[in-house]
Amino acid sequence: MIKMIVKRLGLLIFVVFGVTLVTFFMSHVIPGDPASMIAGQRASEETLQSIRQQLGLDKPVWIQYFHYIGDLLTGDLGTSIRTQRPVLDELITFFPATLELAIAAFAIAIVLGIPLGVLAALKKNTFWDNLSRVFSISGVSIPVFFSGLIVILIFYGNLGWFPSNGRISLDINPPTHITGFYILDSIFTGDMVALKSSLEHIFLPALVLSYAQLAVITRQVRASMLEVMSQEYIRTAVANGIKGRLLIISYALKNALIPTVTVIGVAFGSLLGGAVVTETIFGWPGMGKFVVDSISYLDFPAMMGFTIIISIGYVLINLIVDIIYGLLNPQMKQ
Amino acid sequence: MIKKFSYVLLIIVTAILLTACKENANAPVSSESTPSESTSNETETTTASNPDQLVIAIPADVTSLDPAITMDNTTWKIIYNAYERLVDYDGATTNIKPGVAERWEVSEDGKTWTFFLEEGHVFSDGTPVDAQAVKASFDRTLKIANGPAGVYSMVSEIRVDDPMTVTFVLSENFPPFLSTLAANYGNIVSPTVMEHEVNGDLGQAYLAENTLGSGPYKLTEWKKGDSLKLEVNEHAKVKPTLQSILFRIVGDPSVQRMQLEKGEIDIAEGIPVDQIDSIKGLENVELIQEPSLLVDYIYINTSKGNPALQDERIRQALNYAIDYESLVSAVQLGYATQMRGPIPDGIWGHDETVHQYNYDVEKAKALLAEAGAENLTLDLLYSDNKTWWETEALAIQSNLADIGVTVNLNKVAYATSREMMDKGEFDLALGVWSPDFGDPFAFMNYWFDSANHGLAGNRAFYTNREVDQLLKEAATNNDQSARQEIYKQIQDIVMEEAPYILLYQKDYILPMSKDVKGFIYNPMLEGIYFLNEMSK
Repeated sequence: MIKMIVKRLGLLIFVVFGVTLVTFFMSHVIPGDPASMIAGQRASEETLQSIRQQLGLDKPVWIQYFHYIGDLLTGDLGTSIRTQRPVLDELITFFPATLELAIAAFAIAIVLGIPLGVLAALKKNTFWDNLSRVFSISGVSIPVFFSGLIVILIFYGNLGWFPSNGRISLDINPPTHITGFYILDSIFTGDMVALKSSLEHIFLPALVLSYAQLAVITRQVRASMLEVMSQEYIRTAVANGIKGRLLIISYALKNALIPTVTVIGVAFGSLLGGAVVTETIFGWPGMGKFVVDSISYLDFPAMMGFTIIISIGYVLINLIVDIIYGLLNPQMKQ
Repeated sequence: MIKKFSYVLLIIVTAILLTACKENANAPVSSESTPSESTSNETETTTASNPDQLVIAIPADVTSLDPAITMDNTTWKIIYNAYERLVDYDGATTNIKPGVAERWEVSEDGKTWTFFLEEGHVFSDGTPVDAQAVKASFDRTLKIANGPAGVYSMVSEIRVDDPMTVTFVLSENFPPFLSTLAANYGNIVSPTVMEHEVNGDLGQAYLAENTLGSGPYKLTEWKKGDSLKLEVNEHAKVKPTLQSILFRIVGDPSVQRMQLEKGEIDIAEGIPVDQIDSIKGLENVELIQEPSLLVDYIYINTSKGNPALQDERIRQALNYAIDYESLVSAVQLGYATQMRGPIPDGIWGHDETVHQYNYDVEKAKALLAEAGAENLTLDLLYSDNKTWWETEALAIQSNLADIGVTVNLNKVAYATSREMMDKGEFDLALGVWSPDFGDPFAFMNYWFDSANHGLAGNRAFYTNREVDQLLKEAATNNDQSARQEIYKQIQDIVMEEAPYILLYQKDYILPMSKDVKGFIYNPMLEGIYFLNEMSK
């Protein structure tokens, strides 16, 4: 197991290198000039030239790439063209917010998705199964910009139960920075005011973001539960008098979860990447909005930084999925 | 399994207990701390209900706050009130009034401008505003050589005559010079910015996130992606009523509308025209509607595009083919007015007698036939920069189809469209323009001077030597009535030769709570608030 982890982490270096290569050249092939975005509405050729020079954009692409890699090796992700701040600082500012939202959404998706899937499988072709089906299909088919607005309209507009915007109420100081996750930080510092506000703020966006993944997880759990339940060892177990919770959880679900874990791993990746729209609707100060703005500005360093972080994230998630696989399935341990 | 789980739980609980002694940002204020250092969260208030605080919802976060770098309108609205300028726009007009300079003189030839500074202006760090500071600030802008420096390319020297007198020497006569000093590039930065210099960046990294001016406010907090807060600059000469201004980033227009309705925000900046009607019904909200100087028009590529476009009759035909009235009502829901001449209403030089193209399909067809153009196919370039361009492009496509011209829509990313415009890779392209200073120069010289082909402003790649000559005369003459006469002549020529299709001048619309008093709309500073005049 340890060997596998070390090997995977070693591979990570190659993944990151490959990603920088592809992203860098792809983003430079796209026609467009960041200098013209900075220079304002009307820009004389002299101004454009001076900005290009300052950004090093006047040099050949491959030299720019070597500079970038050289800096990257020393941990320098460059300076954002758009905000003039170090990209690393930008990522440190925005990434925890996105990650916190994705984890919260992920938690909701798992906590609701697995029991719903089990329920649907056990009550196959009944009212409950159909209800769960309708619920899942609408989860996959309703776009976030719609469900987000409906949720805000009801819970903020009409009922006034939850806030509409941001990570924490504007009257409240964010908790002291430890992890960058407001919920964890406010627990760590014992700041109940901030905790309450953070939970209120994260609830709606996490709910909306989780919906699509929740649907996928429910369907997956249902399908594999049905498959497992029809297998012979379950029949044997039933014949031996094993029933109820023990049968479902220890015998059936544990095996049904193996394919689900893969789905969940992929789901988490898409939560990270897919938070963009949710962040915009709920004014969540995460990476999504930052990245979209960076792309439209052709802010190469920011785009690269984001891509690197996300690809590392994907590799790590896959690693974690494989570790969990091993825990669930002793055969995989070898 | 359960055993393992309890270990994990134990570790988490221990971790919580261990870290619980860390500083709590929201703990009740201890008696030792000064009130300004910490804020208690015990009482939650709706932020906009505080009469000392103005809450403005803006649709997106801002970029570098450095006046020598930024050319972004949203950023300007944040920093405008943190800085002062030598001169300012007077209220709602394009006239210039004294700012830090109490008076000024200009030499006969228009090349030497001397400003006499008023005593008592102080930067937010306590440094007094004097001639040396003014020189240092403009020198810094020129040295950084970004967008704002481009505006001052004619400045050849800045001289300190005495501690409170500063002289700008220009390489050529440039009558709109005074007007450029009232805009955001004219913001005067404290010379102490150099104390924050890293790696020879002239303090760019510092000013990207901070303000250092003598305006009535200073930036005290910037939660990235969430909000920005301005608070009173205690050193400033002007003492405003509002104690703090909160800019909240609210990306979704529907959410902004709900927040406005609930009184959580005072001003909603991100509501598009198609949602304005739903605002009208709100009891506590007033709708500001003023003519803006933002114009929307089509560049006809007169030299690098389809060769047919080099024929002025074809360009005229395109101008006659647009149903202006329907376009304004379909695209801007009526919140716009058809342009008459390149200089919009609101800037001197605008002329009601200049020829205006009307919707005349027969005339357009006749002109096309006369020019011998058959089966003309043109590309229309536009981007996602303006939300309304999609509808507009479709309307134009259908209008031109009526006269037998096929239009292929070419929608690209904004940055790509900028490059294509610069290189002239289009037949027709949608564009907007707003003036940098209150002078017809900001339209006429940029749009029509052949020295400005491409992004610099002449995006029609239009060349007419006579026009070039006249533009030069108008730009270097100090007599406004003489200049007005010259600009009239030029307008007559360019309307005849039609290198652009002038569509409309947009209205400025702003939903605002009725509690807000003292709002002044200045078309030259669109979207910028005179915060020291405002109250609640």
